[in-house]
Amino acid sequence: MSFLIDSLLSALKLMAALDAALIDIVTVSLKVSVSSTLIASLIGVPAGFIISTNEIPFKRSIITILNTLLALPTVVIGLFVYAFISRNSVFGTYDLLYTQQAIIIGQSILIIPIVTVFTLSAINRIDRRYRKTALTLGANQVQTALIVLVEARFGITASIVAAFGRVISEIGISMMLGGNIRGFTRTMTTAMALQYDKGEFILAVALGIILLSISLFVNILLNYFQGKTSE
Amino acid sequence: MILYSLKNLKKQYNRRTVLDISKLDIQSGNIYTLSGPNGAGKTTFLNILSFLLIPSSGRLAYLNIPVKYNEKYLQQLRKSVILVDQHPILFSTSVYKNIEFGLKVRKISRKKRKTIIESALDLVDMKMFINADARHLSGGETRRIAIARAIACSPDVLLLDEPTADLDLESRLTIENIIREIHARKDITIIFCTHDLSQASRLTSKNIYFLNGQIHDIYHENIFKGELVTSNQKEYYCKINEKILIPVQSTDKDKIKISIHPGMINIIDHKKSDSDVSLSYTGRVTHLGMEKEKIRAVIDIGISVSVLMEKAEYDLHMLRLNDSVKINFDVDGITII
Repeated sequence: MSFLIDSLLSALKLMAALDAALIDIVTVSLKVSVSSTLIASLIGVPAGFIISTNEIPFKRSIITILNTLLALPTVVIGLFVYAFISRNSVFGTYDLLYTQQAIIIGQSILIIPIVTVFTLSAINRIDRRYRKTALTLGANQVQTALIVLVEARFGITASIVAAFGRVISEIGISMMLGGNIRGFTRTMTTAMALQYDKGEFILAVALGIILLSISLFVNILLNYFQGKTSE
Repeated sequence: MILYSLKNLKKQYNRRTVLDISKLDIQSGNIYTLSGPNGAGKTTFLNILSFLLIPSSGRLAYLNIPVKYNEKYLQQLRKSVILVDQHPILFSTSVYKNIEFGLKVRKISRKKRKTIIESALDLVDMKMFINADARHLSGGETRRIAIARAIACSPDVLLLDEPTADLDLESRLTIENIIREIHARKDITIIFCTHDLSQASRLTSKNIYFLNGQIHDIYHENIFKGELVTSNQKEYYCKINEKILIPVQSTDKDKIKISIHPGMINIIDHKKSDSDVSLSYTGRVTHLGMEKEKIRAVIDIGISVSVLMEKAEYDLHMLRLNDSVKINFDVDGITII
């Protein structure tokens, strides 16, 4: 028990002193997670909108595949992306392996289905009369789409927040595609795993506290937007 | 000027024809009412007139130009025709921004938008709600704002789908006055659906009657579904709700739909004994209203029956709301449809 309390106190001191290594790790984590969330939103939100509002071929099959992809393990994505970016593969010449970009690609693949499915579900919940009203008032297709997206804004934001929560805490992709290189691709989760392997818990506990705080903040945001959606 | 011209226009869903109009011309500058039972095709008709629904076949011309069903062309047409739904929905923002949407779409300057919004709200007597959150309005207020949102766009045609359905009397009369006002002030062609015949007669003499997706010249009222029954193979009845028997002509169908002419329902003097009148039913007066020179009463005998009578007959029976009254049906006033 005293070991845990000692680790916790030392971790708090490390955080209070704004330890350079700690800041570095947190910055890398936030940078890759925010980037992958942004990319996934730019792809997932329009995809969810198009699937929801259009009669596209194989719609049901696409939704089933997307739902299946929600449960995709991070190590499978890690392996899959590795097969494409490793030295001798199709995109090997771009030298992406063990870079932040590689982590961003992998994490984007992980959360695109999350953003798409949740956006689709948020738009499906929106009353069809909004679209009809916008059209009868003379709106074009883009203006009508914007009206629907604005009405579904809280649901869509909740999907983006949930996606961010998923990537900030994942480890498989960061480890396999980032390689846990200090100051470059070391994220909070990979650093915690390394510290655990080394038996040095102070930095691991400090990172754990920060990760938990981010998770808590993300969940508060998620709760807020889900509450707004059901209003 | 002919506004809409329809020829052999049909709308089908899964091979079921919900609208089938052989020929119809609608003139501009008038108020038209669309009436008929539920499922008769009125809403489908309004959706087609508002260019939100594409007919399955036939010809629709607007201002003598055949309508081309491509999105860009339809969007231009929609700028002059606006439909207000039976249960209109307002965007989740302020009343001001709701009305502003159609004006922004029409690229009207910010300065002009404000004046137009205030004037539209003034017309529906909702100016004090200009900054209100549209999500917190009552059903009647929502309809008035939806009408203001439509008229702010200065359309040539305003289509209203049952604008007074489910509203209390005061709200109904308010909406009626708004319709009159819009027509008088803005010279907009107004086409609206209603089940309230006295409302229709108060607002216009131009009524289009729908039945089973088709336009009929003869207005059918008091439409009921029932089962054909007979006791002696001479007298036939339509049995409604397991207890009401309406005399009908013989037919080979078991399940029939009848309409009862409201002017051919007899109100029986209470002094007459039951033996003097065959198949009479007692009910309560639930609605009384003037319709042109006649009186319309709705009598609930287990089913609501609308009765139209001369003023003299009304005076004779001295009908009041909630009075108990006895009626019977004249077989000549009953049509199997």
